Amino acid sequence: MTRVLAGTTGKAALLALFAFAIIGPLANLVLWSFAERWYFPFKLPVSWGLRYWEVVFRPTGVAMQSLVTSISIALLTVVVALALSIPAGYALARLRLPWRGAIMIAFLLPQAFPSVAIYVNVARIFYGLGLAGTIGGVVLVHAVHALVYSVWITSAAFAAVDRELELAARNLGASVLRTLFTVTLPLAAPGILASAIFVFLESLDEFTGTFFVGVPTVSTLPLLLYSAGMGGNYQIASITALILLVPSILFMLFVERFLRADVLSRIGR
Amino acid sequence: MYTRIIMSALATSLLAAPAGGQTLNVATAGDQNMVDYVRDYLGPLFEKTHRGVRVVSVGTGPGDAGSQKIYEKLAAQKSAGTTTWDLDVIVIHQKIAGQMAAEQLLAKYKDDIDTGKLVSRETAANALGADVSGYVMPMFHSQTALAYNPDITKDIPGSYADLAEWVKKNPRKFGYNGIKGGMSGVAFVTGWVYAFSGNAEQMIKGPYEAATKAAWDGLLGKLKDFNKNVIITPGNAGTLDMLNRGEIAVGPVWVDMFYTWMAEGKLPPSMKLKLITPGMPGQPMYYAVPAKAANARLAEAFVALATSPEVQAEGIIKRFNWYPGIDAKYLEGKLDRAAWDKLFTDISPDELAGKGQPFPITPYFNDVLELYEKKVAN
Amino acid sequence: MSESRTAGLLLVAPALLLVSALFAYPLVFSVASAVSDPAGGVGLANFAKAFQLYSGDILYTVFIVAISTALTGLVSIAIAGYLTMGETPWLVSGLAWLYRWPLFIPFIVAAQCMRTFLAKNGMLNNTLVMSGLFDPDQTVSLLDWRGIIVTFVWKQAPFVALLLAGGMAALDRATIEAARNLGASRLRCLIEIVLPLVAPTLMVGLILSFVIMLSVLSVPLMVAGSQPTMLTVDISFRINAYGDYPVANALGVISYLMTAITAWIYLRYALRERQEKAA
Repeated sequence: MTRVLAGTTGKAALLALFAFAIIGPLANLVLWSFAERWYFPFKLPVSWGLRYWEVVFRPTGVAMQSLVTSISIALLTVVVALALSIPAGYALARLRLPWRGAIMIAFLLPQAFPSVAIYVNVARIFYGLGLAGTIGGVVLVHAVHALVYSVWITSAAFAAVDRELELAARNLGASVLRTLFTVTLPLAAPGILASAIFVFLESLDEFTGTFFVGVPTVSTLPLLLYSAGMGGNYQIASITALILLVPSILFMLFVERFLRADVLSRIGR
Repeated sequence: MYTRIIMSALATSLLAAPAGGQTLNVATAGDQNMVDYVRDYLGPLFEKTHRGVRVVSVGTGPGDAGSQKIYEKLAAQKSAGTTTWDLDVIVIHQKIAGQMAAEQLLAKYKDDIDTGKLVSRETAANALGADVSGYVMPMFHSQTALAYNPDITKDIPGSYADLAEWVKKNPRKFGYNGIKGGMSGVAFVTGWVYAFSGNAEQMIKGPYEAATKAAWDGLLGKLKDFNKNVIITPGNAGTLDMLNRGEIAVGPVWVDMFYTWMAEGKLPPSMKLKLITPGMPGQPMYYAVPAKAANARLAEAFVALATSPEVQAEGIIKRFNWYPGIDAKYLEGKLDRAAWDKLFTDISPDELAGKGQPFPITPYFNDVLELYEKKVAN
Repeated sequence: MSESRTAGLLLVAPALLLVSALFAYPLVFSVASAVSDPAGGVGLANFAKAFQLYSGDILYTVFIVAISTALTGLVSIAIAGYLTMGETPWLVSGLAWLYRWPLFIPFIVAAQCMRTFLAKNGMLNNTLVMSGLFDPDQTVSLLDWRGIIVTFVWKQAPFVALLLAGGMAALDRATIEAARNLGASRLRCLIEIVLPLVAPTLMVGLILSFVIMLSVLSVPLMVAGSQPTMLTVDISFRINAYGDYPVANALGVISYLMTAITAWIYLRYALRERQEKAA
C-alpha cells in the first residue's frame, strides 16, 4: 500500500517538476507583464499593475501595427511556400527524380548556413531591385527560410497516401490530374496543413531576415521584442512576447490534430 | 479557402500602409530611450505643427553597430543608384558620421537651419578627427561614469589603477559589456587604455602613428586578467539591469540612462555615480540628413525643431537627462535651476570638464577595438 | 518514364529557383567574399584573421551545439519513450499535454523567458531559495553557456520528441508486447527494440536541431554575455560594427562546414539504408 502511494507521489512529483520546467519560464513572462516596479532583493514584484500594457498599446506605439504586419507576412509566406512546395513535395514523393537526395538537402541548406551573412547579402541585392523595406521582400526571405519544413513535410504527407487508392482511381479511368485533385490531395491535406502550421510559426518567429531586409518600413513583433529585451524593458518585452504567443497557441489548440503519426514518421525519408 | 486567406492578407497589409500624406523616417542608432525620445516626444511635437506628416521612429540598435547598420543602408542605396533614399533623419555616432561625410552620404544642411548658429563646440565640426562641419548637428552630449550601489559596497576606488586591484578582492562584483552591445563598455575599455598607456593626448588629438599600439601589450594583458574577475553583461541596458537586480555592484553606465532609469523606478534610488581618474569618455550623438533623403526639407525642419532651445531644455535635459547639444548659454531662461542642477548631483561641472574625455581619433579607436578582440577577448 | 522525370523536375523547379535566387546566389557571393584576399585575388587571409580573433568562440559554439544536441536526444527519447510505453494513464496524458508547449514558442520569446527565469535573482533561483534548498547567496546566474544549452534543449527536445512519438506510435505493437511478455523491462524494450526501429526519425530530428541551433541569433544574443559567444553573434557583430564582410563571411563558411559534415553523415546513412533495403 505504501509502495503504491510512494509510487504515485513520486510520479506526481516528477510530473510537477516537469511542469515547472515547461511552464515556469512562461509563467515568468506573465509575471513580468504585470510587474510595475521590481528590483532586488524582492522575490516578487514590488508593485503590480497594468501600466506597461498601456505603454505598449499607446496610440504612438507600434505594437498593434506590428502584430498586423507580422500576421500578414506570415499568411503571405504560407501561401508562397505552399504554392511552391505542394508541386515539389508531390514530385519528390511520387515521381522518380534524379538526385532526389541532393534535392532534399538543397531545401535544408537555407537553414544550415547561419542566415546573418546571407541576409546581409540579400539586403544588398534587394536594394537594387527595390524590394528592401517592402513586405514582399520580407515574405520572400521568410519563404526561403521555411521551405525546408514546407517541402519535407508535404513530401512526407504525399508519401503517406496509400498508393493503392491512387491506383484504384486510375484503374477506374481517372486521369492523372483528376486522381491528384480528388484522391491524393484530399488525403494529403492534413499533412499539408501541418506544413502550413510550421511555415506560419517560422515566419512569426523570424527576426534576423526581417531585421536586415525590412528595416525601417516593416516593423514586426519580434523586432519589437528584441529591442525591448535588450533595452532592459522586461515588462514591455514580456507583453510583446505574450502578444506574439497568441497566434501560436491558437494554432496549437486548433490544428494539432493534423500532426498525425504516419506523416511524422516519414519526414526526411 | 486559400483565396480567402490571400484576400484577407492583402487587405490587412493595405490597411497597415500609411493612409496618404508624408512619412518622415527617423532612424536612431541608440538604446530604447533614444528611440522613445522620437517616438513619444519629438515625433508627436513635430506632427502637431506639420499636419499630414507621420513620423516613423526606428531604432537600429545601440553602439557603433547601430550606426553601421544605417551606414550599410545608405551605402547600399548609393551603390544601387536609387534616386531617393528611404531614411530622412538619422541619429548616429561620431565614427560613422566621419565616414559618411567622407563618402558623400550626407547633406550639408547645418547652415540652412536657424539653430545651426547655436552650436559652437568643436564636436559639431570634428568627429574623432574627421571633418564634418555643416553635415551634423549635435543632438546631445553624454558622459560615462561608474555607477555603484552603496547598499552593497560602501564606496568604490577612484581610479583605474585602484579598480584593477579592487576587483581581485571583490570578484564578480563589477560588470561591463566588453565592446559588444553598447558604448558604455567601449568607453570603459578606452578609458583603460587612456589610463595605462600614457598616450591619451595623442590618441585624442592625433597624429596617428601605427607604432603606438605596440607598447600596449602590457595593459591589454592586465585587462585580460581584470576580465577574469568581472561579469560581462549583454549591453548598456544589461549593465544597468544587473545593477538593478543586485547581480553586480559596480559598472560603467551612461549618465543619462542612469538618471532616466532611476526616474522610472528601474534602479534603487540609493545608487550613485563616480567619474574615476584619469577620466572616462563621453560622446555627442549627431543629427544628420542623408544626401538623397526623400523628404529633405521636412528633415531639416525636424532637426531645427529638435535643436531649438525649447526642445533642448524640455526634452533633452529635463525629460531625458542628457547634456545639451547646443551651447548651454542659449538655454538660459528656458530651464529652471533645479532641472539643470540635477544633472550635476554626483558629477560636478568641474569634474566633467577635467575628467570627461572625448573618444580617440578613428584610427586609434579602431586599434583599441581590434586589439581588444585579438588580445583580451580571445 | 522519362516524361515523369521531366514532369517531376518541372514541379520541383519553382521551389528550387527561389532557393537559388535568394540563397544559393548570396551564398556564392559570401563564399567569394570569404576567400577574397585584401590585396586582390584569392587567399585564406580572412580565415586567418577569423581564427586570430574568434578561435575561442568557434570552440565554444561547437561545444554548446554538440552538448545541446546530445541532451535533446536524451530528453526526447525519454519523453517519447514514456508516452509510448507508459502505464499510468494520468501521467501519460499529463506529459503529453505539457511537453508540446515549447514547440509553439518562438526562439526569441524563449530567449526572453529564459533571460528572466535563469538570472541570479530570477524565478528558478527564487523558487529554489523559497523551497529552502538554496541559500540566497548560493544562487548562481545561469546566464551563460548553460543558459544557452537550457534554452536550446527546452525548445528543441519537444520537437524531436514529437517526431519520435509519431515514429514510435507507427510501430507494430506486437513486437513490443512480445518482448514485454518475455519479461523485458520497459527500459530495455525502449533501448533494444523501439529505438533501433525509430533511429532514422531520431537522426532526422537531431540533425535538424543541430542545424537550427547553429543558425539562431536571438538566443546567444539575449541569454548570455558577449564574451565568449556563439559564431552567429560574431558574424552579426563583424558586419554591424565594422561592415567587415570578408571576415564575417569567413566565419560563416566555418559554421557552414560544420553543418556540411552533419549533412554528409545523413546522406551516407540514408544512402546506406536505401542500399540495405534494396538488397
